[in-house]
Amino acid sequence: MTAAARIVNGTKTYGTGDAAVTALRDVNVQFSGAQFTAIMGPSGSGKSTLMHCIAGLDRLTSGDAFIGDTRLADLKDKKLTELRRTEVGFIFQSFNLVPTLTAEENINLPLSLGGRSGDREWIDTVIDTVGLRDRLSHRPNELSGGQQQRVAVARALASRPTIIFADEPTGNLDSNSGSEVLAFMRRAVDEFGQTIVMVTHDANAAATADRVLFLNDGEIVHDMANPTADRILDTMKSIGS
Amino acid sequence: MIKLALRGARANLGRLILTLISVVLGVAFVSGSFVLADSLRSIFNQVSEDAFAGVDAQVRGASNDMNSTNGETPRFNDDVISAIANLPEAEYTEGGLFSFERAYTIDANNEVVRPTGPPVFTGSWSGPSPVSSFRMIEGEPPTGQQVVIDPVQAERGGFVVGQEITVSLPTGEPEVFTLSGTIDFGEGGTGGAFFILFDLPTTQRVLGLPGQIDSVVVSAATGVSPDELVTAISAVLPDNLEAVTGEVVIGEQKEDFGTFINIFGNVLLGFAVVVLFVSTFIINNTFATLVGQRTRMFGLMRSIGASGKQIMQMVFIEAGSIGIAASGLGLVGGLGVASALKRLFSSAGGEFPDGPLEIRTRTIVVVIIVGMGVTLASAILPALRASRVTPLEAFRTGGRASRPLTVRIALGSAVLLLGLVFMAIGMFGNPGGTSATLALIGVGGALTFIGVSMLSAMFAGAVAGFIGTPVAALRGVTGRIARGNASRNPQRTSSTVTALMIGLALISGVAVLTRSILDSFEEVLNESISADLWIFETNQGLEFSGLLVEQLAELPEVDQVAGFSPTAIRIGDEVLTATGFDSTTGTSVVNMGIIDGTAEVGRNGIAILDSVAEERQLAVGDQLSVEFEDGFVTTLNVRGIFDDAAIAGADWLIDRDLSREHRITDAITFAGLTYAEGVDPAVGRAVVEATTAAFPQLSVQDNTEFQEEAEGQIAQLQVVITALLVLCLVVAFFGIVNTMVLAVLERTREIGLLRAVGMTRRQLQSSVRWEAAIISLFGALLGVALGLLLGWAAVIAIPDSFVSKLGIPWGQLVVYIIVGGLLGVVAAWFPARRAARLDVLEAISTQ
Ligand SMILES: Nc1ncnc2c1ncn2[C@@H]1O[C@H](COP(=O)(O)OP(=O)(O)O)[C@@H](O)[C@H]1O
Ligand SMILES: [Mg+2]
Repeated sequence: MTAAARIVNGTKTYGTGDAAVTALRDVNVQFSGAQFTAIMGPSGSGKSTLMHCIAGLDRLTSGDAFIGDTRLADLKDKKLTELRRTEVGFIFQSFNLVPTLTAEENINLPLSLGGRSGDREWIDTVIDTVGLRDRLSHRPNELSGGQQQRVAVARALASRPTIIFADEPTGNLDSNSGSEVLAFMRRAVDEFGQTIVMVTHDANAAATADRVLFLNDGEIVHDMANPTADRILDTMKSIGS
Repeated sequence: MIKLALRGARANLGRLILTLISVVLGVAFVSGSFVLADSLRSIFNQVSEDAFAGVDAQVRGASNDMNSTNGETPRFNDDVISAIANLPEAEYTEGGLFSFERAYTIDANNEVVRPTGPPVFTGSWSGPSPVSSFRMIEGEPPTGQQVVIDPVQAERGGFVVGQEITVSLPTGEPEVFTLSGTIDFGEGGTGGAFFILFDLPTTQRVLGLPGQIDSVVVSAATGVSPDELVTAISAVLPDNLEAVTGEVVIGEQKEDFGTFINIFGNVLLGFAVVVLFVSTFIINNTFATLVGQRTRMFGLMRSIGASGKQIMQMVFIEAGSIGIAASGLGLVGGLGVASALKRLFSSAGGEFPDGPLEIRTRTIVVVIIVGMGVTLASAILPALRASRVTPLEAFRTGGRASRPLTVRIALGSAVLLLGLVFMAIGMFGNPGGTSATLALIGVGGALTFIGVSMLSAMFAGAVAGFIGTPVAALRGVTGRIARGNASRNPQRTSSTVTALMIGLALISGVAVLTRSILDSFEEVLNESISADLWIFETNQGLEFSGLLVEQLAELPEVDQVAGFSPTAIRIGDEVLTATGFDSTTGTSVVNMGIIDGTAEVGRNGIAILDSVAEERQLAVGDQLSVEFEDGFVTTLNVRGIFDDAAIAGADWLIDRDLSREHRITDAITFAGLTYAEGVDPAVGRAVVEATTAAFPQLSVQDNTEFQEEAEGQIAQLQVVITALLVLCLVVAFFGIVNTMVLAVLERTREIGLLRAVGMTRRQLQSSVRWEAAIISLFGALLGVALGLLLGWAAVIAIPDSFVSKLGIPWGQLVVYIIVGGLLGVVAAWFPARRAARLDVLEAISTQ
């Protein structure tokens, strides 16, 4: 079985000449289906870059990125956009929702952009799972931060993408709301077989994942299976952050 | 501080440039109006000076307040020429005879050669002399059966000196003359007017005025001053003649031209003011948005010690730099506007003499004051707001509370009410004088627009949401996003579309008024006209020979024929216009709605419009003392009261036999006729046309053609006015571009998010365009609704004799609404592309 997403010899360099910054150095990684992966590392280590390149938001300077069997370098903007719409889900740290749309419209956004109505039953399940049934007609500014992130999770799940990327999804939340959001992501992986990759700074958050990748200076320096918060903290210390 | 302000201006260069354009358009229009009027004035001054350069004195019939109103000057016997020539004070003496529009040259295609704007003069010329108005360009002065014309006319008609040309004459008998040469006044050409000149005896013969002249021009002998010459001449003149110096004549000429040019210039300025007014909304909107976006920066500056006053100065300096730039560009742009206006009027049938464009110091000063003033004034409120930003706001996130809506509603309602009251006083009250009326209506209109603009913020969100509903339904989520964005900032939506609203309100107001005029006209035609054919001068409804009426009356195919001529009369000490008509036959061609007595007033009778009769307490059987322009006084019996002033053309009707005897010319403005019984209309018409063929400037039309022609003419006027008002739409266009650019910029992050979760570039563009379409449809609907209101108000305010019923051009209004919407789509083109090109990652990470 092919991985949900992978990077082969991926290098990303910003700028040229003296000002060049290498954010990823010859990275090889794959994310298998129905797995919850956390990415950790010091600030500037290349976590976001890795995610952006594999999610089709940015292009590698050299090497290849794949979603399923699709080589992203082969796609023009339109196809890439369609791929993001159908195969990829996003959860950002903040400002995840379109303020003029209701919670429900936000959840359906990727589907409706593609002119599809999606699997209603599935979407109902998602909405119930994240507990938003009574907030569907609210606009983002009428929702708390935690509720907004839950809407974002629901949106990411709604189109049943091959893989979901979350960049510090709990970074702006209090610990209660944060753990709620984490719990939903965990359930999505366990109950619905969703693949999720999450960047986080929080060892406890990373501990809910199945696997933790540690990045430093653009390289994957450690790959930990079945993590616990303590082991994560130890590894982080050893990297020196 | 200045440096910081200028840096601020530079940082926002893009949107400031858009703002700049809207100010420049208004300023350029102002400058263009001045430039055009000044240039015309110079040309005509030059013409006046050239024409009377060598004249020290002129003798003319003493004109009175009546005959000065109809252009023609009094004629007198030519024996005074020799009396004056015999004076030792006189060097050269020359008598002349001139008339408006009495002869035309006919080209090879048997078409009348005519200028489209300025008049045609027929007159006498005895060749170059110190007192001659004209100079010879080519060939020889005319003698006998010869004619000279101006070079423009020669070119238009394809005439070359030496050839024979046919000239249609006032008597209706065309004659062939040899073109002996071409003439003009000097540097200024002829100011666009056409001249057809013969020697004096021939002129007297073809004008049917044997032994008559209307002026004598004289140059003084050496050592004699113009004043001395005038004194000497006056001594030998009969009472009905006067002598004046050449200087006086030139002054009067300039004044005559000046009056016309002033009116023209003021009308243009009026349009310019409207455009400027519209652009103030755009400037205000831009500054308000810029200040809003920089709240944090201002807060930060306050917290590090800048005073509120300094912040305010900063905004003003920014505005001032735009004002200066706009004034400079506008001044230069004015030259372009002036030549564009020239072209616009030329294409609409007017004609402008050629001449250099002129920028006077006054124009420069006015333009700078206007450009700076408008920009600074528009920045006052935003600057005040900026100065009130507290240091704390540097750290506050999210929008600041906007002014409570209740204040806005109260203020908006007050302004609106004030505006409506002003307009009402202007229209229905009697503020005294046209300029007071216009000022009241203008200020009232401006206040009304400001009020509506303020109030519209109240419902902009809801209405935009409503307009967007079908878009959302049709375009799916793209449409929903467009609709959401269009209604999310009602205040901005409403101020963005204010310019569009005002532009379309004026344009559709004009359309409603035009339709109403046409409908009223049609009603009048259908109800009051029984003539089978109408005869009038094709282009401008100028007068033509009353002889035609007699010629037509002799045709067996014609039953009744009546001519109509406007005549100045004096009743008490008021100079009024009466229509002289053939009262025995007139009622068979028109029905002026006699409600008492008869329209057959006869030579010693008069009929009066009912409202005028009421006002003056006159009734059938009363007597009136009436004076004519030749000084003849007679007592007329009131024989009839009528109620349709539109068809009578005046409030007073007298018999044409009476009026022609006491007018300078026996000319009429139109004639109507009915066919004799049993005459086939086609045959009748052919016979009539054969008779009028001698007057090639005349049109023969039946009711339907007449109506179509009138419609065409009024529609053309509408086109010109609309074209001028379209400049408002251009300004509005840039306003929408501006707002959309700002909106896209403000929403960069949201756009990034949408793109990340799968919105294609195309979808994004489409949503931005739909947003603009919804916003501008809102403005267009508001504008057209206001236009309907304006049109209706105008129909009520204008006397019934001109417009009696409201006509609504639904088709045109719908087109305007669609155009408004499309304007938004086009305006959003660039902002939408810009949005679509945003880099997704960069957009997401924007703060
Ligand atoms: N658009 C960019 N232009 C230049 N350098 C960048 C850009 N984005 C990221 N970088 C650099 O690449 C490196 C990795 O950045 P990033 O992936 O954002 O790290 P992380 O998410 O782990 O904090 C950093 O040194 C950062 O400065
Ligand atoms: Mg990061």
